[in-house]
Amino acid sequence: MCLLSRDTFISGGLAPLAVFMMLVAPSAQAASPKTFSIVGVENEYANVAAQIGGRYVHVTAIESDPNTDPHSFEASPTIARDLARADLVIENGLGYDDWADKLLAATKSQDRKVIKVQTLLGLPDDTPNPHLWYKADTMLKVAMAVEKRLAEKMPAHQAVFEKNFAQFQAAMATWSGAISAFSKAHPNLPVAVTEPVADYLLQALGANIETPGALEMAAMNDTDPSPQDIAKENALFDGHKVKVFLYNQQVTDALTDNFLARAKKNGIPVVGVYETMPTPGFNYQSWMMAELAAIEAAVTKGQSTERLVAAK
Amino acid sequence: MTLLSFLPAGFLDSGPVQRALVTGAVAAVISAIAGVLTLIRGQSFAGHALTDVSAAGGAAAVLFGAGPLAGFLAGALVGGFGMETVELRRRSERDLVAGIMLGLGLGVSALILGRIVSSGSNGGAPVTILFGSLFILPPGVILPVSICGAVAVVLAALFTRPLLLAALDPDLLTVQGGSPRLMRLVHLTMLALAVAVSSLTVGAILSTAFLIGPAATATRLSARPGRTMALAAILGLIAGWGGILMSYKSYDWTDGHAWPVSFCIVALIVAAHLLLPPVFGRLLKPRQKG
Repeated sequence: MCLLSRDTFISGGLAPLAVFMMLVAPSAQAASPKTFSIVGVENEYANVAAQIGGRYVHVTAIESDPNTDPHSFEASPTIARDLARADLVIENGLGYDDWADKLLAATKSQDRKVIKVQTLLGLPDDTPNPHLWYKADTMLKVAMAVEKRLAEKMPAHQAVFEKNFAQFQAAMATWSGAISAFSKAHPNLPVAVTEPVADYLLQALGANIETPGALEMAAMNDTDPSPQDIAKENALFDGHKVKVFLYNQQVTDALTDNFLARAKKNGIPVVGVYETMPTPGFNYQSWMMAELAAIEAAVTKGQSTERLVAAK
Repeated sequence: MTLLSFLPAGFLDSGPVQRALVTGAVAAVISAIAGVLTLIRGQSFAGHALTDVSAAGGAAAVLFGAGPLAGFLAGALVGGFGMETVELRRRSERDLVAGIMLGLGLGVSALILGRIVSSGSNGGAPVTILFGSLFILPPGVILPVSICGAVAVVLAALFTRPLLLAALDPDLLTVQGGSPRLMRLVHLTMLALAVAVSSLTVGAILSTAFLIGPAATATRLSARPGRTMALAAILGLIAGWGGILMSYKSYDWTDGHAWPVSFCIVALIVAAHLLLPPVFGRLLKPRQKG
């Protein structure tokens, strides 16, 4: 597996340079030696692509810094170059990574295929929750699309890609099994969240998300929540009305800090959830299994897992 | 409690609302005092420029992980005293200096806010700095806000007469043995305190509205400076608290998508300015003789 993840270091005011890089990129592409190059805009997509492609692909992830909010990401010139040279790009869609669309539009390429996960799942543009990687069927579809493209482009290695896909499919089946086992063991689990990062998973788990929807949207879109919604969220903690608090590690401010402190004060276990795959040591399936195990530990043992750490 | 029964249930129990009410009240009172002095001096534009330098300070404080209040205050003080030193040399070009300061302040704000948004996780910082996020003030904010308010009020009480005289007729103050320069510095300090607390309330850009709006309305209602200040404080308080209540109530009118407090406060300030002077102007302000 060849997964190069680059820290998302951003420097402001480089837009003109980015345009320049886009102009020079096509000629640079022609000169580079031909390995099949995949760019995953979010590192969880890059990870799945790397698992399917194995050693026959070169995979780059753009957003992988657990300390930044991908919602407010801005592209740098090297990213424009990587996207221009890529043979396959996987992006999330739903406005989550709009900037990638702009860069892709600016660097037309005949050979390059773009997998937009939103389109893959057939979701309309007004879908409110863009955090598709917490949806249980998303990555299987992504892996299938990647496998199809790789088999087209490198038919000689088709057997390898198929074997890798079968392995990934087995891992996803294990995860799905764990999800249904959890939902049977803990039906209608009441939970609080900061923003809708893991809401698809919570819905699959049959959990009741008690946090007001407007508060989730305010936290996600960086707008100010209303005092009423803040009071409702606080009441969830003070009244011990929720069994677990899912806390987005990548988007924090004074308000979410306050909720975190309130949850801790009332002994509500906290589980960290992520916009991008936590590093190091995780792949997509081990991350999702760890997330589920953390929720399970919270519900059964009252144990907090604020940050996921990979087992060795 | 019957007196307060018109308030929505849970309004006064809410921590965010309590902090908003205190901060809004302090901002209203010191902005009114500083605002009337600013109007008498004819320095509205300089006051506005100050708020933009203050924005840069607030943004820098957030970038370095501090609370924005200290940054707003530092920015306003640097901007104010900066303008004062330049102003001494070329008094006639005061607006020009203020204009340059305004551009500099907003330019630096753009740089710092850009860095905060792109490198951190605090994408809401620009709105908070520029337009205010009154309902998400941290619990620890009450003490520093109260200190700012107390300092401004004590300064105003200590120097009421010389402050007014320096604004109206600096030469007369000099003849009486006072120092117009010292009073300008006292005024600037009060202005900086007012801008800092207002920036927390309605944001740095809109703090001009708090500074100038109630003071301007009060000036049209009363000719006597002391009464004008008191009136401006009352008007500011009504707009501030009314705006907080309006924003809170708008939760029910808009299906949970409440209007920002800043909009509500400024709407009330403007409404008061348009409606009150025509209705009450003659009542309160004695008609000019002759």
